[in-house]
Amino acid sequence: MSDSWAVDVEDVSKNFGDVKALDGVTLRVRQGEIYGLLGPNGSGKTTLIRMFVGLVAPNAGTVTVLGQRMPNVAMLSHVGYMTQAAALYPGLSVEENVRFFAAINGTEGGVKAALEFVKLYDRRASVVSTLSGGMRQRLSLACALVHKPQLLLLDEPTVGVDPQLRVELWDGFKEMADAGTTIIVSSHVMDEAERCQRLGLILFGKLLTEGTPGEIRSRAGRPTLEEAFLSLSQSRA
Amino acid sequence: MSGKRVAAITKRLLQQFRRDRRTLALLFVAPIVILGLLGYLIRGSASAPAVGIANEDQGPLGATVAAALAHSSGISTTTIQSSDGDAKLKDGSLAAYIVFPPDFSSQAQAGTIAPDVHLEGSQPGTIAPVLQALQEALISAVSSQAPGQGLHVQPRISYLYGGPGFDTLDYFGAAFIGLVVFFLVFVVTIVSFLNERSQGTLERLMASPLRRGEIVLGYMLGFTVLALIQAVEVLVFALAVLKVHNSGNVALIFGIEALMAIAAVNLGIFLSMFARTEFQAVQFIPLVIVPQFLLSGILFSVSSEPKPLQLLSGVLPLTYAVNGLRDVMVRGADLSWGSLQLDVGVVAGFIVVLVIAAATTLRRRIA
Ligand SMILES: Nc1ncnc2c1ncn2[C@@H]1O[C@H](COP(=O)(O)OP(=O)(O)OP(=O)(O)O)[C@@H](O)[C@H]1O
Ligand SMILES: [Mg+2]
Repeated sequence: MSDSWAVDVEDVSKNFGDVKALDGVTLRVRQGEIYGLLGPNGSGKTTLIRMFVGLVAPNAGTVTVLGQRMPNVAMLSHVGYMTQAAALYPGLSVEENVRFFAAINGTEGGVKAALEFVKLYDRRASVVSTLSGGMRQRLSLACALVHKPQLLLLDEPTVGVDPQLRVELWDGFKEMADAGTTIIVSSHVMDEAERCQRLGLILFGKLLTEGTPGEIRSRAGRPTLEEAFLSLSQSRA
Repeated sequence: MSGKRVAAITKRLLQQFRRDRRTLALLFVAPIVILGLLGYLIRGSASAPAVGIANEDQGPLGATVAAALAHSSGISTTTIQSSDGDAKLKDGSLAAYIVFPPDFSSQAQAGTIAPDVHLEGSQPGTIAPVLQALQEALISAVSSQAPGQGLHVQPRISYLYGGPGFDTLDYFGAAFIGLVVFFLVFVVTIVSFLNERSQGTLERLMASPLRRGEIVLGYMLGFTVLALIQAVEVLVFALAVLKVHNSGNVALIFGIEALMAIAAVNLGIFLSMFARTEFQAVQFIPLVIVPQFLLSGILFSVSSEPKPLQLLSGVLPLTYAVNGLRDVMVRGADLSWGSLQLDVGVVAGFIVVLVIAAATTLRRRIA
């Protein structure tokens, strides 16, 4: 049953004191799917993604990832998590960072491929503290996918990345998904949302609506995803 | 527990430090500066000690030696009457006086000379230069007067105060060797572990298959490598450069130092769980390190403390480490001594407790 779901979230809630970060969210993501999480700042996207890797424990509900009830440390080697803020070791070189994240996930290969994917192979000897902001973001991405995870969680992966490279990265994501990798990506960029197979719109910790970009446009009766997103958010606000 | 993942953490730490010159400087230059300063404070008297010379020799040798002493850079000499000597030691105008007896030259003919050396004795730093200057003066005087003759020198040394015991650095040095290592390793560990938290990489580690024990162990090994190198450096500096007295086994001293370093690493990891910023981490120094230092018996012997403080001293690991180092270096203890077994056992036990505490406090969940 749940085998075909890469992620299966059942009626999950999470409170931080008075703040209801997540409120009864149910959401399923198929294997090999690119699933986009949309929602304004503070709507609960990061909290949801953290829950997938067991960093946040739900107050209610269950989270099942790749067939395993979370939290489950052992299966995390099949998951790649790119945090919202690039989390890297500033004193290490580009290559040393990627090697480290490969090693803690139990692999050694894939370093070159990951660096070529984010176009940083030529800068592999540079120390991270000397990189530009967009380069750090790309390196952070490389560290998340170096061990070829089955499930890739990307929290706003292309912030600060130039448009040219952004298109190339998304081509890469599509290729990975075609090869069977499940990708869950949060974003505020509508042309990126357009490239997801399905979207989930989160508002005040609730999953407001879900569907393909086309379905969401027609449900809102708007020609662009941007307008659809705004009108759907406002109708519930 | 995967050895490869532990090794990944250890390797990464060492790579980081390769580029972090400032922290390396703290680890490897600071101990030399601290110990060097301490040695200088305790031993290096600002001016050469004043030494009175009373030459009663009826032969020529006394005058030759006195002249050689007058040229010595380590002391400054004046000519006195031997009957005035003790009074001058008491009023502080002399640190020592040397008497060459009337039969000094004829003693030399007989093969054994015995100058009288009277030391003030309460200022340990002045004793060595006086004896050294006398030794050198005797060698140069005798070799010019009677070359090639075997001559025994048996100075008769008397102390006004104190005795021929160890000097202050010999007593404090043993404990300070361990303390310097403990303190610096603690500071570096707690701050780098906090960096891991503040730069967000700890979140990434927690979202990886790494187990908490693997993280703690990886950290411990990485810092232990650094700490052991530092321990060797400090030990060599103390024994070879400062010439701190040691009557024990060097390997044993190193072993105790290493245990202190490992304890410091784990204390750092454990306490980093209770700080959110580096600034907060530094606040643990007056809170955790200074009281341990004061209660460890380094400055005030534990038996002289008020009873409640003695109980507190008895549960702090530094007390045992300091006691162990002193037992070995000052008293020449080896592992067959019951007291040393206790000291080493307590420090080792503390390490185990800290490793477990650090691994359990390291929370996987951020909320
Ligand atoms: N550790 C925490 N402690 C307290 N409150 C938290 C914590 N993490 C998140 N929150 C709160 O939960 C809510 C959702 O936060 P979350 O980070 O999931 O939003 P987001 O959708 O990722 O926003 P953004 O688009 O800005 O990244 C916010 O109100 C936030 O303040
Ligand atoms: Mg977020």
